[in-house]
Amino acid sequence: MKTLYLDTSSSFLYCAILEDDNIIATVSEKLGNSLSILTLPKIEELLNNNNINIEEINKIVACNGPGSFTGIRIGLTIAKTISWAKKIPIVLISSLEAMALSSLSYDYVVPSIDARRNYVYASVFDKKNNSFIMNEKYVSLDTLEIVLDNLDGSICYISNDDIKTDYDLQPYIPDFKRIIEFVKDREPVNPHLVDANYLKITEAEENFLKSSND
Amino acid sequence: MKDMYILAIETSCDETSCSIVKNGSIDVATIILSQIDIHTNFGGVVPEIASRHHLKNITMVIEGCLDKAKMKMDDIDAFAVTYGPGLIGSLLVGVEAAKTLAYIYKKPLIPVHHIAGHIYANNITKKMVYPLIALVVSGGHTELIYMKGEYEFERLGGTLDDAVGESYDKVARVIGVGYPGGPVIDKMAKMGTHEYNLPIPLNDSSYNFSFSGLKSAVINLSHNCNQRGIELNKENLATSFQDVVVETIVKKTIMALKDKNVNHLIIAGGVAANSGIREELKKECEKNNIYCSYPDLKYCTDNATMIGAAAYFAYKKGYTANSYLNANSNIDLV
Repeated sequence: MKTLYLDTSSSFLYCAILEDDNIIATVSEKLGNSLSILTLPKIEELLNNNNINIEEINKIVACNGPGSFTGIRIGLTIAKTISWAKKIPIVLISSLEAMALSSLSYDYVVPSIDARRNYVYASVFDKKNNSFIMNEKYVSLDTLEIVLDNLDGSICYISNDDIKTDYDLQPYIPDFKRIIEFVKDREPVNPHLVDANYLKITEAEENFLKSSND
Repeated sequence: MKDMYILAIETSCDETSCSIVKNGSIDVATIILSQIDIHTNFGGVVPEIASRHHLKNITMVIEGCLDKAKMKMDDIDAFAVTYGPGLIGSLLVGVEAAKTLAYIYKKPLIPVHHIAGHIYANNITKKMVYPLIALVVSGGHTELIYMKGEYEFERLGGTLDDAVGESYDKVARVIGVGYPGGPVIDKMAKMGTHEYNLPIPLNDSSYNFSFSGLKSAVINLSHNCNQRGIELNKENLATSFQDVVVETIVKKTIMALKDKNVNHLIIAGGVAANSGIREELKKECEKNNIYCSYPDLKYCTDNATMIGAAAYFAYKKGYTANSYLNANSNIDLV
């Protein structure tokens, strides 16, 4: 059983091929603006270098955000197109879920993605109970810190962004094995319905709602 | 030569479209999912909202097109996609989807310039004859292109600021008749008289256009009337505005035809549906013995059929891309 994992929700490309629980090959590379050029070639390279035909992939696990709007769309367009065209089941995982699955030894981890203007996309994961005590949110850093200040135990942010905080901050390094294991029993989605989880409506919609409420 | 079926994708603005085109001229099947109702709330296309809808719709539109054509991917000889110009986030969805399909099915990928698409919409209606001058007028473009032969483009000039369709939208907003402004103003213009004196934009001997000054003149006129408590006659303003737009477009287009000694004009783009521009150009062309054609109205606005038509000729000229293709919001037609 071969799984293809794809996450382009930040400036990094995280891609992996797993055979059951074993990692066959991975790419973790900061691509920034080249994400739109290089994501597909890197997937091709990964498959070719390991003599794997795309038809041999049994499952796609794709990250659907939150994060960079354009980044998410690049990966999801590729993932849903492959899934639809080749009838390969596709399962979605939130980028914050994937980030929470790190092996850091803290009581709570706080996967966070900078959303500008002192806001982040974040959640709070309780490692002991293996559950989220704050579900993913578009939240101001100030509010998030109040939540964290009230927790009992050690706390660490996980982020590749420059988060201004006095708590510990560790970079995100994906644990592909745990990610795939985490979504093992998750129901596949109809590829046509694969969509991004932006966690935030657009500014135009915000203004429109504001003006229609006035 | 064997028949060639191209599956084309167009997502450069707010239409998600897929089409299968045979030999660059026959529309086998086309699906266009327009977002116009969504963007009407905002008085214009919101790029981020457009991109979000493209991602939602992309595979459904492709499947819908194959179903409508009663074809399978195995019947497709190549994939084509608009890679620019346009809204970058929107373009990217189409480009990534087309790249992925070309990779999976190991078929050629043909990158198509959006303006080349608009021009080749004419080839679906009637075979294009060269040399010709193409006038491309839409919400995002106002261009005069000289084509010496098949898929050879020489840009003679274009707008220096607003596109002509954009100026229609802005004027429509000033006089409060909604979005998109083109069709409404065109209709109103038929009912009014040329009452208001508006400046003829960029009235020079270049092939360039400028519509932002004209738009400002309309805004000033509207403010002025408001201040003096005079009611603006909207129909008359529409007529006055359209007359000036038509005059400048007709003048420069005929000039290009005469300078290049070409007797074939094609009109392309969404504003080619504007009756004022079309009729006046037709009249002037007849006077000057110039053959004038324009696409069926359904191929004037953005659609993937025109991309599939252009792709056939692009492919014959050897234009193909690989998995490294990127979208480009601002590229020249060469």
